[in-house]
Amino acid sequence: MYSLLKPCKTSAAFEAIPRERFSLDLDRCEEILRPVCTIVAHAGVLLIVNDRCEVSIHRDGRLILKTGLQELATEQAGRIAGWLEGTDALRMHRDAGMSGRHQRK
Amino acid sequence: MAKLVSLVSGGIDSPVATYLMIRRGVEIVAVHMDNRPFTDDKNLDKALQLVRHLQDLTGTPIRTYIVPHGPNHIVFARNCNRHLHCLFCRRMMYRVAERIAEREGAVGILTGESMGQVASQTVQNINVVNQVAKLPIIRPLIALDKQEIIEIARKIGTYEISTLPGLCCTIVPEQPSTAAKLPDVIAEEEKIDIESLVEKSLEGMYVLAPEAL
Repeated sequence: MYSLLKPCKTSAAFEAIPRERFSLDLDRCEEILRPVCTIVAHAGVLLIVNDRCEVSIHRDGRLILKTGLQELATEQAGRIAGWLEGTDALRMHRDAGMSGRHQRK
Repeated sequence: MAKLVSLVSGGIDSPVATYLMIRRGVEIVAVHMDNRPFTDDKNLDKALQLVRHLQDLTGTPIRTYIVPHGPNHIVFARNCNRHLHCLFCRRMMYRVAERIAEREGAVGILTGESMGQVASQTVQNINVVNQVAKLPIIRPLIALDKQEIIEIARKIGTYEISTLPGLCCTIVPEQPSTAAKLPDVIAEEEKIDIESLVEKSLEGMYVLAPEAL
């Protein structure tokens, strides 16, 4: 689901970029994630804490993982992908994989 | 001596703007709008380090207000047009800064805004945020480009602090408006009780004396 983790410009976090274009229904994400994570805020982005790692989940599928440790960021992105993949929170775009930033390998 | 309220983030620009105005003989009261939980603790640490550095560098005591701004973001994001979020954010900063200025006897608000640097800093958007303030907004960096600002920051020793790790604001919309119209922004703000948000921000703020930094 996520193909790339790149450090934010000040190295305080990592960004997980979706491999294909999709959008997330954050209301559904909240329902799905509530039993497994702490929901800090749901306001334009969904802010969760899982295993002491704060993660901002964006409607366009991006994740901002607030940690300087790449290993932890990779693990958290994988875990969140596992919770959301195959659910109705995730809507694939018709041009999935075809455009702009989502084309990166 | 004239007093200004300076909006100090943990970034590169605002400490430079503050330094330039201190050099012009202005007394400064610093205000840091705390964006947590949409940033991390490091941004607050950086802002306080920057104020302390400016105090040491200029020999000028600076009183610092820390104002919770995260709850305001939540209200705007839940109730108002997402594309205009950065404008609501800045207009709220100015409202709070103006109330602190009133309390401190300051005659204006100082910011590190520079033309075209981010989405909220276009001429049209600057006009929209200006309309919320009665006090003059002083922008000493408005015509400088980023490289020029960085050069000053390096010279005065703030660059190294500003570029320490710290998370950028994560509630910035995917497509922020670059040419907002004032009536649209006002119509959106009317959906919420702005005055109560300002009051809550002021109730939640705390002040650090110059020697406490």
